[in-house]
Amino acid sequence: MSSSKRKSIPRRLTDTIYKTLFEEVPFCVAIIDRDYNVVEANEKFSQRFGNWRGKKCYNVYKKLHRPCDECPSEQVFEEGKVIVADAVGVDKEGKPTHYVGHVAPIRLKEDGPVEYVLEMTRTVTGVKSWQQEYQILFDRVPCYITVIDQDFRIVRANEAFRESFGDVLNRYCYEVYKHRSSKCPNCPAAKTFRDGRVHNSNQVGTGKKNQDIHYAVTTSPLMRSGGKVAHVIEISNDITAVKRLESQVIEAERLGAVGQTVAGLAHSIKNILMGLEGGKYIVSIGLQKNDKQMISEGWEMLERNFDKTTSLVKDFLSFSKGRLPSLKMLNPADIIIEIVDLYKEIAALSNIELKAMIPKKVRKAPLDPDGIHTCLTNLVSNAIDACQMAEQKGNEVVIELIDNRKKLIFQVTDNGSGIEYDIKNKIFTTFFTTKGGEGTGLGLLTTRKIVQEHGGKITVESEKGHGSCFRMEFSHKRLLKLFEESDIIKKKNN
Amino acid sequence: MSKKILIVDDEADITTYLETVLKVNGFTPVVVNDVPAAQKIIDKSPPDLISLDIMMPKESGLTLYQNLKNNPKTKKIPVIIVSGLGQEGKFDFYSFINDESMAEPEGFMEKPIDVDAYIKNINMLISGVKK
Repeated sequence: MSSSKRKSIPRRLTDTIYKTLFEEVPFCVAIIDRDYNVVEANEKFSQRFGNWRGKKCYNVYKKLHRPCDECPSEQVFEEGKVIVADAVGVDKEGKPTHYVGHVAPIRLKEDGPVEYVLEMTRTVTGVKSWQQEYQILFDRVPCYITVIDQDFRIVRANEAFRESFGDVLNRYCYEVYKHRSSKCPNCPAAKTFRDGRVHNSNQVGTGKKNQDIHYAVTTSPLMRSGGKVAHVIEISNDITAVKRLESQVIEAERLGAVGQTVAGLAHSIKNILMGLEGGKYIVSIGLQKNDKQMISEGWEMLERNFDKTTSLVKDFLSFSKGRLPSLKMLNPADIIIEIVDLYKEIAALSNIELKAMIPKKVRKAPLDPDGIHTCLTNLVSNAIDACQMAEQKGNEVVIELIDNRKKLIFQVTDNGSGIEYDIKNKIFTTFFTTKGGEGTGLGLLTTRKIVQEHGGKITVESEKGHGSCFRMEFSHKRLLKLFEESDIIKKKNN
Repeated sequence: MSKKILIVDDEADITTYLETVLKVNGFTPVVVNDVPAAQKIIDKSPPDLISLDIMMPKESGLTLYQNLKNNPKTKKIPVIIVSGLGQEGKFDFYSFINDESMAEPEGFMEKPIDVDAYIKNINMLISGVKK
C-alpha cells in the first residue's frame, strides 16, 4: 500500500478538465440564468441550435419570442431539484428537433438560491422516428399485442386488440380476454412472470360483442430492474377463422367417411343380393319346369346368402362389441402367402412389386386366420393404394414376418406416398379414408380392433412422400393365454 | 347354333345364377372361376361374349380384359363387366385402368343384375348392334 499523501490537483488542471468536459460531453450544454438568458453554451449546442449569445433560451431552443408554457428551467429554479423532460425544439436550420433535457440547479453558495440552471440536452429525433415506426408496426401488425404488468393489468394494447376487445387500458387481462373475474388457469403470462421464459398456448377469449375468439398466444418477458420480469408482452394471432374451417373440414370428413363406409358395405351387400336374386330366379324356373333339383339348388342358394347377410351384419356389429377371436394353431406364414397370391396381380397392374419376407423357421401360433387375413388385406391394399398415389416409380410392398422369442410381428412396408401427420393421427381412431369411393374407412379401424382382440398392438411409421410401415405385434405369451381361455370357453359351450 | 357365353366369376352362387339365366334364354354358358382358366378356354375356342367379374383371387378380371383387348385375335369379343364395384349403374372404368388408350368394356352390369337388361345387352352385343 502506498503511504504517500494524495497530491491536490492544481487549479489550472481542474479548469482544463471542466472545460474539456463542458465541450466534449456528448450533449448540448447550456447555462441559463433566472431571466432566461443563455449565459454559456458548448460548441455542440451552437451547432445544433445556432447562435445563442445575448439571446433568451426560448428563442434559442424554440425560436419563440416569449417563455414556453411549460418551462423546465423555471421548475428547477423553483424546486431546486434535477428534472428530466423531453421537448420538441427548432434547430438552427428551422427543422423540428426532439430532445431530452436534463436540467440541474447551480448554486453559487451552498444552501444559497439557485442562480443558474445547467441544461444538458440530447437530441432524440432519430429515436423518435424509430418510435413512430414501431408504434405503426405495433398498431398495424395483423395480430393482437398487449403488454401486461405484474398485476395482470394491460398497460399497452395495439389497435387490432382494441378493435376486437374494446377499451382495455389498465383493465385486468383476464377480464378483457375472457370476461373473467379472476386469473385464468394455466395462464401463459403467469408462467412467463415466474420463469422469465417464452410460453405458447391456444386460448379461447370473448370479444366485445361476446363472440368467441380463438387465439394462439405467445408470452415473452420484458426484463427490467435486476432481471425480474416487470412486464410481459403477449402476442396473439386470431385463429377463429382457421378453427371454424377446421371444424367444417372435420364435419365434412365425418360425413364423407359415413358415405364411404356405406359405399363399402354396399359392395358386400350387392354380392349377397346377387346370390339371393339368383336363388329366387332358380327356384322360380324350377317351379315353372317342375324341376325339383333346380328348386332345391335355388333354395340352397337362398339359404347360403341369408346366412351371409347374417354374418355381414354380425361382423359390422362386432365393431361396437368386444369379442374373443376364434384362435387356431397355424403357421402365420400361410396367411402371408395367401395375401401375396391374392394381391400380386392387382399390384402388378400398377407396376408394384409385392414381396413376402418369411424366415426359414416359423413357429405355429394361435391366431384367428380370418381376422389376420382381414388385417393384412387392409394393410396391403392400403399400401398398394399408397404406391399408386406416389409420385416416384419403382414401388414395392413388402410383407414381412418376424418371429422372435417374445413376439410375432407382421410388418407391411411400402415406398408409396406416405401419410401426412394429421392423417396419421386419425387412421386408427376414425372412419378415415383417403380413397374416395373405394374405401369404407373401416379398414384400419377393423385392423386395430382385430389386433387388440389378439392382445397385440399396431403402430405406424410414415413419412409423407417416402412411404409407410405398419407393424402388428403379438406377444407369444399373450396369444397362448388367449388360446387357453378360448379353449376353456369352447369346452364350456359344448 | 346357340351362342357361347363365357362366365368368369369366383362366386359359385353367381355363376350358377348366370348359367341358369343364360341357359333359359337359349345360350350355351361355359363357367370358369378364375382368370387363368378363362384364358385357356379363350385360347382354345373363343366364346361369342364374356361375362366378367372384376374382383377375383389370383388375377383380376381387368387383367383378363387387358389381355383380350391387346390381342388382335380376341379383341373383338364383347365383354360385359358384371361387378358390385359400380355405383348407381355406372362404372368408372378409368379409375381402375390407368391407360386411356384402352377401350372401355362393351357392357357393364351392376350386381345384382336385372336379368332382362342383362339378356338384352348380350343379344345386342352379339348381333353387333351398338348400345
